[in-house]
This record gives sequence, structure tokens and C-alpha cells, in this order.
Amino acid sequence: MVSAKRDSLITQMRRGTLEYCVLALLRDQARYGFDLVRTLGDADGLITSEGTIYPLLSRLRRDGLVTTAWHESPSGPPRRYYELTSAGDQALELFTAEWDRFTNAVDRVLKQGEAR
Amino acid sequence: MTTATDALIGRYLDDLNAELALFPAQQRQEILDEIGEHIAAARAAMDPETEADVRTVLERLGDPADIAAEARDRFGIQAEPARPATPWLEVIALVALVIPFLGWLVGVVLVWISRLWTTRDKLIGTLGGMSWVVAGLGTIMVEAVNIPLSASGSDTPVGSPHVVEPTGASAIEVILVAAPFVLPIAASIYLAIRLRGQVAARSGEVHAGSSRGSRV
Repeated sequence: MVSAKRDSLITQMRRGTLEYCVLALLRDQARYGFDLVRTLGDADGLITSEGTIYPLLSRLRRDGLVTTAWHESPSGPPRRYYELTSAGDQALELFTAEWDRFTNAVDRVLKQGEAR
Repeated sequence: MTTATDALIGRYLDDLNAELALFPAQQRQEILDEIGEHIAAARAAMDPETEADVRTVLERLGDPADIAAEARDRFGIQAEPARPATPWLEVIALVALVIPFLGWLVGVVLVWISRLWTTRDKLIGTLGGMSWVVAGLGTIMVEAVNIPLSASGSDTPVGSPHVVEPTGASAIEVILVAAPFVLPIAASIYLAIRLRGQVAARSGEVHAGSSRGSRV
């Protein structure tokens, strides 16, 4: 029961933030799916099923925040690389600024509650 | 080794394809392609490739149902089966049924085309609307046996003690006049109620089939 509650809590927190984690990973370099997903998967607690990133990538592409391009790979078949568009860059910038404000505010309130 | 792992991967992608059945073909293909590429990239990095490693890759990708749930969430697909589209054919049929003659004819055709009603429902709709025709024939027959519909009271002999007499005739009148209005409307309401039940049941089916918890 506790773990079900924790799952739903994490799902809700992830809902609005995960897409910006994807955008952030693409800020400085284009990445192919496997690389991107593994990097996210290695961050503890961020995702539990790596495959769920792909529908998100589809959505981001549809919204024009990322684009894809094929590049040769040193080993195996060519890879589809995901790149940030300028709209994606702007979205990320906006989120980053708001996120700082938001987490600061939440932190302050949580600590206030603790002190009493 | 390769055939065993190929079969494993094939089954995984088949499952995912089935879970994504509600998606437009292009979106479904996109997700399948990219998951396929993920697996190919993971395999290319294996040296040597083992079945256990491939299993781990698939496990990390996660349950196809979870991936489909996430996709529905991101694209708002889940909302569609939960809130079913208006069954326009049936709605038009219900309206047409209460319009005399030509409307009824159109309504009956549409009712029988629809797959949301049972045969019994369709018969009720057909016969209910048909009361226009029956009433029309009835009126002609009554006219034919010379019972004037509007002036039944005036035929009563002046001296008759039974003043109740005219009400016998006017009861037929009332039925003949009212039935064509009441019966098609009643039949139409009955069909509307049945339709609501059907639509709710159908969306319930789809919804239940696709409402596994979303996990990222």
C-alpha cells in the first residue's frame, strides 16, 4: 500500500519534469536513443522502464522541441540522433528558471513545517 | 543463440504492437521502430551476445503495457475510448423515427444498419414508428365505415339517456390521434436508453482493456 502510494507520487512528480530532463540531456549534444535512455536510466529514481522514454520522445518531436537525424555509427547500423530545436532550447530555459523558483519555494515551505 | 534471442525480441515487439493497437499506424510504427533501434544498439554493444543479456535489455525497457500506457498518456489516446464518440448514425435514426412517413422510412433503414441495437430493439423501433402508418390506415377505415371523427357527438339521438355514448367514439379518436405521436416517441426513447447502455458498455470494455497503471 505504501509502495503503491509512493509509485503514484513519483509518477505525478515525473509527469511534468521528465520531458525537461530529456531536453536538458540534449542541450549540449545530440544523442541517439539508447545513449539518451541509458543516461536517464542510470539516474536513480527517475525512470523504472526505459521503454517509456520513447513515447515521450515521439511527443517532443511532434511538438517541435526535438528533431531527429540519422548518423553513421562506428559499430552496427546507423543511429537516429535526437537534437534540441531552438523551440526546445527556449522551453528548457523557461523551465529551468521556473524550476529554481519552484523548488526553492517548496523547500522553504517544507523546512518551515519541520521547524514547528 | 541468435534464433532464441530473435524469437525473444520478436515476441516483445509483437506484444508492444498489440498494446499499441489503438494508436494511429504512423505513431505506433514510430514507437516500434525506436524501441527496435534501442534493442539493436544494445545488441551491437554486446560482445559476445548472450540470451541473458538480451533478457536484461528487454526487462530494462519494461512491460509493453507500461510503454503503451505512457504513450496513451502523452498523446491523450486514453481519453478517446473512455469518452466515446457520439454515435451519429444512431442519433439521426432516433430523430428520423419520430418524423412521419419519409422520416420513419429513413429511421428504420438506419436502425437496421446500426450494430449497436439488438434485433429486438430494432423491431420495437420499426413497429413503434409504424404507428403513423397504422393510424393513417385506421383513420381511413374509420372514415370508410362512416364514423365522422370530429362530429361523433352530433350523431347521438337527441332523446338518448346515455350521454356517455359519444365518449366511446372519442376514445377511439383519442387513441387514433395520440398513438401516432406517443408510440414513435416512446419507441425512440426506448432505443435511446438502449443505445446509452450499449455505448457505455463498449467504452467500458475498451477502457478496462487499456487502463493498466502507467509507470515510467
